[in-house]
Amino acid sequence: MAHFEIKNLTFSYPTAKGKHSLEDVTLSIEKGEYVVLCGKSGSGKTTLLRHLKSVLAPHGKHSGEILFNDIPMDKVSQRDQSAKIGYVMQNPDDQIVTDKVWHELAFGLESLGTDQKTMRARVAEMACYFGIQDWFHRDVANLSGGQKQLLNLASIMAMQPEVLILDEPTSQLDPIAASDFLNTVRKINIELGTTVIITEHRMEDIFPYADRAIVMDSGRVIADDTPRNIGKLLYEQGNDMFAAMPTPVRVFYGAQGEGDCPLTVREGRNWLSKAFPEAPKVSTFPAEPLADEIENPALSMKELWFRYEKDSPDILRGVSAEVPAGSLYAIVGGNGAGKSTTLKAICGICKPYRGKVKVFGKRVEKYKSAELFKNCLSMLPQDPKSLFVKKTVREDLTEMCRNEQKIAEVAELCQVTALLDNHPYDLSGGEQQRAALAKVLLTEPKLLLLDEPTKGIDSFFKETFATILAQLKIQGITIVMVSHDVEFCAKYADMVSMFFDGQILTTDTPRRFFGSNSFYTTAANRMSRHVFQNAVTAENMIDLYKQNKEG
Amino acid sequence: MGFESYHPAINLFYFVSTIAAAILFKQPVFLLISYLSAFAYSVKRNGKRAVIFNLCLIPLIVIFAMYYSSYNHFGVTVMRQNFIGNNMTVESLLYGVTLGMIVATVFMWLSCVFSVFTADKVVYLFGRVSPKLSLFLSIILRTVPRLKAQAKKISTARRAVGRGVNQGNVFQRIVNAVCIFSMLLTWLLESFTTSSDSMRSRGYALKGRTAFSIYRFDNRDRSLVISLFACLTVALMGYLLGQTVIWYDPKIVMNPITPISFVFYMGFAVLCLLPLIMELWTEFRFKKTRCQL
Repeated sequence: MAHFEIKNLTFSYPTAKGKHSLEDVTLSIEKGEYVVLCGKSGSGKTTLLRHLKSVLAPHGKHSGEILFNDIPMDKVSQRDQSAKIGYVMQNPDDQIVTDKVWHELAFGLESLGTDQKTMRARVAEMACYFGIQDWFHRDVANLSGGQKQLLNLASIMAMQPEVLILDEPTSQLDPIAASDFLNTVRKINIELGTTVIITEHRMEDIFPYADRAIVMDSGRVIADDTPRNIGKLLYEQGNDMFAAMPTPVRVFYGAQGEGDCPLTVREGRNWLSKAFPEAPKVSTFPAEPLADEIENPALSMKELWFRYEKDSPDILRGVSAEVPAGSLYAIVGGNGAGKSTTLKAICGICKPYRGKVKVFGKRVEKYKSAELFKNCLSMLPQDPKSLFVKKTVREDLTEMCRNEQKIAEVAELCQVTALLDNHPYDLSGGEQQRAALAKVLLTEPKLLLLDEPTKGIDSFFKETFATILAQLKIQGITIVMVSHDVEFCAKYADMVSMFFDGQILTTDTPRRFFGSNSFYTTAANRMSRHVFQNAVTAENMIDLYKQNKEG
Repeated sequence: MGFESYHPAINLFYFVSTIAAAILFKQPVFLLISYLSAFAYSVKRNGKRAVIFNLCLIPLIVIFAMYYSSYNHFGVTVMRQNFIGNNMTVESLLYGVTLGMIVATVFMWLSCVFSVFTADKVVYLFGRVSPKLSLFLSIILRTVPRLKAQAKKISTARRAVGRGVNQGNVFQRIVNAVCIFSMLLTWLLESFTTSSDSMRSRGYALKGRTAFSIYRFDNRDRSLVISLFACLTVALMGYLLGQTVIWYDPKIVMNPITPISFVFYMGFAVLCLLPLIMELWTEFRFKKTRCQL
């Protein structure tokens, strides 16, 4: 008996003018399976997932049938649905309803009308299983993003569901919290046998462990197979989704490797060792010239010290850096290290109590506010939503600049022309990011600060974003970006700095920087460091592999 | 370790009875007991801040008594005439002092209430009445700090593109502030949509909701409740026997103080001071066991 049986499901939103969001979807999901659903944003993943729980199913025209445990979905009682089908959404904050951790854990059980004694036992059990006991009595407001999402998961698991549906649960989390969360999901699947259906951008942590991957494109299921076969299929189809595959898969097919396709870094290392039993002829790229003294840096910071309150610890503890004009400068580092605070210090929102910030050779305090944020410097915040204040994207852009021709140009550059009449909150994560960038660019900055620009966007959108950044660089704009996303920085940045303990420790070109790290580095480098010296991206690896095999 | 660790129902019972007694029992001995216990307990709970607060209340009592007696002229014992020829009487002055004392006592009790009652106790007590009501309260308690955080986030984001509430000319500043406010509302609606999805998906709409609590009713709760009730009974007996009343108009009249009155005074004093005694005793015992280690 299949757990979920979807037969010829077709669906269209009332506003879509007959365009189907789901078209003839037929799927069967077995009990205890771990299924990953992938596809570009807007391919209908969320719409499909929401159909699996009828209280969340969107309004519109349906046809076809969904069976849950052989019972048609609309016949499954509310009570059964609430208890048996757990649904975790994208935004950790919005899902939490109550103000205390313990209350949130009990929320579902309260709804089911569970008696006090059972509730106590279940809540205790959940708190222990998820390691929540230390923050059981805390206010939800004081939790980190990762803790919040874990709490959402735990409060759903307290109802002991048979199925767990997760819709991009880690897109708002930093990489460490994300991989913790995904490991917990995997543990639930393995230890409790709960069926898991998940959509995710972060394929590296899921793909190797999933039983099955389903690929969707414009509302259709285009592939449904084991992860290993899916990689091959997408490569042969030349599908855009191939860019989202884990690095080992991309390298394997990109280099036309032989044997079984590796999925994890470990398998990738073994595959590479087999391909090169002896040391390869070309194991490194030619050395890059060492950076000269930077003349007229666009931005220079000298030993910045900053704390939020008089008695709170220092967040910045002597940050120094110089950013050459016209470059893409990336700052990487752990959570809460002070990266975002550094950006705020650069634009004068946080005032360091010691040290100097110079923007284009002039101290930042010497600028008048109007002067600084017009034609000089501006920042794209971590949450692009916080920048929008109007009803349509067009109005939002007009707020920054009245010149329509310029708006059109910038919209074109950021590829938001088609979205101009939408409400900013209706856009997907990647689209919001681009619309916010357009808004920021209308101040005509010469120095652009980006705070975690790749958070919550899929790999396809990341590439689009990178091309926009490249165009900006051609226009002579200097870009400073802080990010957790080492893969993105390795691929596109000119210089990378490591931020740790309130200061910038090392700065180098991505190849030298990641090439010399062995933990805090890209998957490609971890996979190849025993054979190649400084291959830090999949493209680097493919390049070296081909040089050796062909020449 | 203190009174706040007892069951919220007991906290509620205690404060309702002490505050009600402070208002109803106007007889000077009862009032004085009430006043002194409230003073002592608020100092025990809030420390230096309470001392300052309580001392500030004393001049207020005096001012109130003066104000009251210069506008009310009942009573038979005239002290003197004021400049427009009205009689200033001892009765009205004393009644003013009594009222002032009552208000001060209630304020001091309330300061204890705030330190004992945390938000989740209130939520719990409402949950006993109606689980939905308590959930509603809990949602509000979550929304307020979130709104604050989001407002800060939006205003920081806007400052970094030169559109903050403290940038530009006066007109622009107002426009910027209004923008932020209107977007905050949109954001709130948007986030409630997700919250309500999350609530429905966890069965919010089902019938027969229960309320989870982290509180238990233990033996120490039972023993405290029994002692509080015993004291309250004694005090109420005093009330029924007319020991707690006093008249000021036209002349000060109250029932005579007899040896049995002291039983009522004792009962009431113990009622008011029980949490304080208990807290001091627990701390003493804790220290003693520490020393023995």
